[in-house]
Amino acid sequence: MSQAATAGHADPGILNKDLRRQIVDMVVTGNNGHIPSAFSIVDIVSHLYRCVLKFDPGNPEWAERDVFILSKGHGCLALYVNLHRHGFITDDDVAQFCRKGGILGEHPDFRKVPGVEASTGSLGHGFSYAVGIALGQRIRGLGNRVFVLVGDGESHEGTVWEAAHVARNYELGRLCVVVDWNHSGMQLLPHDDLPAKWQAFGWRTKVIDGHDEGELGAAFDSVQFESRGIPTAIIAKTVKGKGVPMLEGHGMWHHRIPNAEEYARIMEALS
Amino acid sequence: MSGKPVRQQFADTMLALGQEDPSLVVMVGDISHGLLQPFAKACPGRYYNVGILEPTMMSMGAGLARVGLFPVLHTIAPFLIERALEQIKLDFCYHGLHGNIVTVGSAFDYAYLGCTHHCYCDFALLKTLEGVQITYPSTPVEFDALFRQAYRNDALTVYRVPGDQHGVEFSAADIRLGKGIKVADGRDLTLVATGPQLKTALGARAILAGRGREAEVLYIHTVRPLDEELILASVRKTGHVVVLEEHMRSGGLGDDVLRTTRKLSSVRYASASIPDAFVRAYGSYQDHCESVGLSPGGVAALAQREFGP
Repeated sequence: MSQAATAGHADPGILNKDLRRQIVDMVVTGNNGHIPSAFSIVDIVSHLYRCVLKFDPGNPEWAERDVFILSKGHGCLALYVNLHRHGFITDDDVAQFCRKGGILGEHPDFRKVPGVEASTGSLGHGFSYAVGIALGQRIRGLGNRVFVLVGDGESHEGTVWEAAHVARNYELGRLCVVVDWNHSGMQLLPHDDLPAKWQAFGWRTKVIDGHDEGELGAAFDSVQFESRGIPTAIIAKTVKGKGVPMLEGHGMWHHRIPNAEEYARIMEALS
Repeated sequence: MSGKPVRQQFADTMLALGQEDPSLVVMVGDISHGLLQPFAKACPGRYYNVGILEPTMMSMGAGLARVGLFPVLHTIAPFLIERALEQIKLDFCYHGLHGNIVTVGSAFDYAYLGCTHHCYCDFALLKTLEGVQITYPSTPVEFDALFRQAYRNDALTVYRVPGDQHGVEFSAADIRLGKGIKVADGRDLTLVATGPQLKTALGARAILAGRGREAEVLYIHTVRPLDEELILASVRKTGHVVVLEEHMRSGGLGDDVLRTTRKLSSVRYASASIPDAFVRAYGSYQDHCESVGLSPGGVAALAQREFGP
């Protein structure tokens, strides 16, 4: 952590401050949301949408698109701000976050939100679903790539490892998993060597800094995306609440709404 | 009666349809692997014995549906319906995806295997999920007809494949998804049977006839959507109804018959089903049918006890 961040001041090394500010604004206006979980992955999701994924916001079901599934659904604010930035959803959609008539809630809904590929929130579903999509694409002779982001806490779920086992054995080489390794899971089960686990399941495994644009770029650039090959797990070391010292870590901020004073301090750190 | 098990017909239908339809994909949880080899050989790349991981297999099936394929997911009922219920609920139903679930070993078909292999709450659980179609095809003809009618529609359809059969020969033209069949006319009471229990209903009808009571027999191969019209018409006439089902009393077909007939005046109702308690004994399928009163004598006695001589 940089000296500036430690002091609670703006840290020039923090990426995507605009998206982070938007996340905080949505949480305050919607009076709901998981800020630290979104801050943990917002740099990864932003990189994917800017540099990696093929998509068409005018046609979210475009047959040649890449598929991105946010399996850790409670990080969805990071997805929403990127969908907004790239034109999938509107200012009004954002303003209606967590409102009864809105399309955006604290977990993403496939049937409501353009660009959302799966309704996630019950952890351990999105990855297995993504494995089915990747297999289905191959059965149909299609070349779409499938990306899925899982949490390290989510990786307590047995279905994550069922899916990893199947995907490796079926050689779903166009499937790429990003693990948000912010050590949430290790609060409860500290003996948890995630890279060793993915390697043991036979995956091509890379460990990177999930808040470093250069490392994200190099990691995704190196994935081969073969129709039949070893799938890749990018284990991204992240910090829950990254970018605002008072939010960082695993404490009370997991699902807390900032008051006016806290909001001002957060915005100052993200200025 | 062909003598062919319904489960064999499942494999035969997969083979026949798989050769016509390149979108049909079969996934199994290490069951019926031998039976499905003809499909596997005829349809390379569309058969997967995924392993012992039913929740993930269910989610994967939803993923296949999402890309426009028509998945068929198959293994033993409790592991597919009860263990993977949340995957059915969220990944198929909430997403609004189509698909096909084929179970064996429902109710106490595998009674000798004990409590872990029982599944007698499947109707109740599945009925809580919007849009699920529930079928109980109990002859090869029924399975083939119902599967062909349903497998490509927009719904998730469950096919409860029994080990036993009712022995009544229907033609494929008789079998329409969502439509019950009046098997025998009667004026004094209605016996509504689903699955192999049609055989029991017909046996009970013969006993009751000997006592001067004419029972109308309705056969329900589609539990949802239910043919309410057929049931209402019969019960309106007879005023008495017994529902026969290999399902726990709560949440079964009987509850739907009660709801369907609630507006009729003075309807008398009885249920021949599994009591709301765990089935703990080993034994055979037939042993368990007898013990819960799903026998011709048991149903006739129930009708007499509840409705009078």
